[in-house]
Amino acid sequence: MATASATPADRFDAVPARAQVSLWSDAWRRLRRNRLAAVSAFYLAFVFAVAIISLVWTPYSTSHLGVVTPYGGPSGAHPLGGDQYGRDILSRLMEGARTSMTVGVGTQIVVLAVGITVGLLAGYFRGWFDTVVTLVINIFYGIPDLLVALILVFLIGQGSLGTIIFAIAVTRWMDMARLVRGQTLSIREREFVEAAKASGAKPRKIIFGHILPNALGPIIVQATIGVPSAILFEAFMSFLGLGIQPPTASWGSMAADGVNAIRISPHIVLAPSLALMITLMAFNFLGDGLRDALDPRQRR
Amino acid sequence: MAEAAVAAEARRAPGRTLLDVREIVKHFPAGVGQSVKAVDGVTFDIKSGETLGLVGESGCGKSTLGRVIAQLIAPTSGSIVLEDVELTKLRGEKLRQQRRQLQMIFQDPFASLDPRMTVGDIVAEPIDNFGVMRGKQRTERVKELLRVVGLNPYFTNRYPHEFSGGQRQRIGIARALAVNPKLIVCDEAVSALDVSIQAQIVNLLEDLQAQFNLTYLFIAHDLSVVRHISDRVMVMYLGKLVELAGRDDIYDHPKHPYTRALLSAIPVPDPEVQSQRRLVELKGEIPSPINPPAACRFHTRCPIARVPGICSEQEPLLEEKARDHLSACHFANEVS
Amino acid sequence: MTEPILRVRDLETKFFTDDGVVQAVDGVSFDLMPGETLGIVGESGCGKSMTALSLLRLVPEPGRVTGGEVLFKGNDILQMTADEVRDLRGKDLAMIFQDPQSSLNPVLRTGFQIQEAMLAHHTADRKSSARKAVDLLKQVRIPAAESRVKDYPHQLSGGMRQRAMIAMGLANSPSVLIADEPTTALDVTVQAQILELIRDLNQELNTAVIMITHNLGVVAGLCTRIIVMYAGRIVEEGPTKQIFKNPQHPYTWSLLRSLPRVDADRRERLRSIEGLPPDLIHPPSGCRFHPRCPFRVERCYREDPALAQVAPDQRAACWVTMDRAYKEMNAGELVDVRPGAGSGVNPGVLDG
Repeated sequence: MATASATPADRFDAVPARAQVSLWSDAWRRLRRNRLAAVSAFYLAFVFAVAIISLVWTPYSTSHLGVVTPYGGPSGAHPLGGDQYGRDILSRLMEGARTSMTVGVGTQIVVLAVGITVGLLAGYFRGWFDTVVTLVINIFYGIPDLLVALILVFLIGQGSLGTIIFAIAVTRWMDMARLVRGQTLSIREREFVEAAKASGAKPRKIIFGHILPNALGPIIVQATIGVPSAILFEAFMSFLGLGIQPPTASWGSMAADGVNAIRISPHIVLAPSLALMITLMAFNFLGDGLRDALDPRQRR
Repeated sequence: MAEAAVAAEARRAPGRTLLDVREIVKHFPAGVGQSVKAVDGVTFDIKSGETLGLVGESGCGKSTLGRVIAQLIAPTSGSIVLEDVELTKLRGEKLRQQRRQLQMIFQDPFASLDPRMTVGDIVAEPIDNFGVMRGKQRTERVKELLRVVGLNPYFTNRYPHEFSGGQRQRIGIARALAVNPKLIVCDEAVSALDVSIQAQIVNLLEDLQAQFNLTYLFIAHDLSVVRHISDRVMVMYLGKLVELAGRDDIYDHPKHPYTRALLSAIPVPDPEVQSQRRLVELKGEIPSPINPPAACRFHTRCPIARVPGICSEQEPLLEEKARDHLSACHFANEVS
Repeated sequence: MTEPILRVRDLETKFFTDDGVVQAVDGVSFDLMPGETLGIVGESGCGKSMTALSLLRLVPEPGRVTGGEVLFKGNDILQMTADEVRDLRGKDLAMIFQDPQSSLNPVLRTGFQIQEAMLAHHTADRKSSARKAVDLLKQVRIPAAESRVKDYPHQLSGGMRQRAMIAMGLANSPSVLIADEPTTALDVTVQAQILELIRDLNQELNTAVIMITHNLGVVAGLCTRIIVMYAGRIVEEGPTKQIFKNPQHPYTWSLLRSLPRVDADRRERLRSIEGLPPDLIHPPSGCRFHPRCPFRVERCYREDPALAQVAPDQRAACWVTMDRAYKEMNAGELVDVRPGAGSGVNPGVLDG
């Protein structure tokens, strides 16, 4: 190099241009500053906690009827009142949280698994596989969601959480696949992918080592925003009587049961409906916040 | 430093032929029955230990040619022989294995490094991909590579965005060196850098060449940098080589009107000199590579073309017009 | 004595980012005489583009002009109302940018966009503006102007788009044309033609030109005066010929020596400038160039030099200056250009 006599330390560009901060912590910091998203995140964490707790404890048993006066309004001992069978609504709400979260997150796990795999492969290899995939995606888009769900539920049998998760995932995987495919198509043109190829990377390394990590941002956002959509779908199905079967609690089925009594005891419908609404909103705010936080262009 | 300059001059005597490129053609489909003739029959060789400069303006095909040489794009036809191995016949795993010998340094220091990987992993990627070494040996090699390119070896856990453009380019260079390739294609390796950093990186490339006896194909549009770093220079226009000669020869006595026009257009940072230069104006615009002009591709813009005449009827071949000086022009000796 | 058409005094522009306040332009002052060609040179981040944008109050978020005055014919642009500035922009002061692709609207015909420039400022009516648009395209040497005027931007090549941009800029006969890296994205032959065009237009129309570029070759051919910027400040200014022949600021001197030249016949090692461009959020103490300067002295670490006269009509912000470096520090023979190498002050140490 230019000067043999210099000590190693001062030969180097000693200081990196910016303080050490990974892209994730940068995003985290930006997310924290978004009040709405931060509040939503706390709320959702709370709902998750409630859901987990409900596995082992609820204020009152939900399998026994008459624990509280049927149609009873909110009172000290029962903050949300009782439903038509005399069950404590608060306890049922907690269990409903568990159901909703399981369906919401469960669906997304399936969607991620299928969507990411299909999207990555189609986007990277293109050719006939991509053509087939695109065709399949478009076919699925053509079929009305509800119809697919109905058919599957009838075929496989009602009631089980697994069936519902599967049914919903079948109608939702295309969004993720299309997103991932789009991301793959654009990322594979970036110079560092070319550089990886020049470095001798095999396709598997390029797909999972380079493309996927760089597509995670939009994927996470999509998955987050997909949760409320799934929960809502389940609520709707349960409302129609096709989803969760009694006596399992789900916010949708609770609302369905309570509709008949809306004039006498509106709280039976209101409680789960409000819970649904707030939770869905929270997921959407969080999703938006994540999108802004993870947007690489906003690095300032 | 004086020693480095002397060593550099001593090394200038080129060795044996490392890369033999013959009639490389690369066409890209462009709609019905049409194609972009990005590279349209290019023949040259690169000698071991030399720096071959490749210049031309946009649309000339130099980047495409660079990528074909680096095996990132398959040529439509032609042959590339690297030390007795015919690269164009290789596929799949065999081709991948050959990549060890041909590495590339990219133009954009911001886009050519995976933002989600640590610097250490980026530099080690070729090592990992070819399974050359593992564990402690690998770690030491990465540190050594960083040291050699002038970066602090303790930065292996940092991410690219923490570094400046010049530093990132050094990381890219370290990566290119990782598995001791025979040939490094530098595709506009300094074009995206600030002027003062360019000088640092150019010096670095020269030092590394002396230290490790590297061979470079240096692709650039900046003829000033190319003059400085190259031993021989080739000029491309619309997919063809129009001139190939030794560095001083081509700059001082160009034998192709395009080269001469190009040289006259480069601004020189010296007001006295600038005020005395005459720009050789070229008529019109660069034709589309989908429909390049017939015969001599340059005849539509050439200041000395005989049109109608031989220039619009017969394609000039790239031939030796003076010792070690090839030009594709019917009137090569009238140019200077 | 003619009055300067543009007087900039202590211009300050800051960017308020998450990481801190970036002092992009930190006290820049200069004059522009009518019809003059002034070059502002420097590397990326030195503040040259921001200076130009600040003149016309086009600084993007999260930046803001935070101080100084920009007197155009006596009126401070920074104090004008938004409407008044809009009036000025495109009429008296025009700006052209590096990438004509993003400055031209892809869905509008080129001629129409030039007409718009005139109609917006009421310098012509609908009928005459159409004719003038064709004339302008001719003036910027676009062949077949009558048919080109109907073309969309994507139908024009890069060079032609830039000419169209220049035509748009000149539509209302501005007194000042600010060109921000107008040829950087163009091929070298096209660049040479555009620069010739700008030079000719400057002479024909007497439009003052501020040329912002990192390419010292460009200013050598085009500008009569140059300003060299570093870390948001002016470090040297003066007549082009003088500065190239006898640069007084070590940065200018180092920069000139680091350039490979197409007419160089001997293969000398490039004298690069060690280190990195400075952090504008936490700029170095004292002189901002001292961490990289081969000729720094103790004072450079502590005190920030102001621009001072170093030769007739030439000013530099340096405690040492190259004259002294040549006399006392053997700058002429210096091969090792590490920081402090010439002065012997902490040689080789790149301070933060």
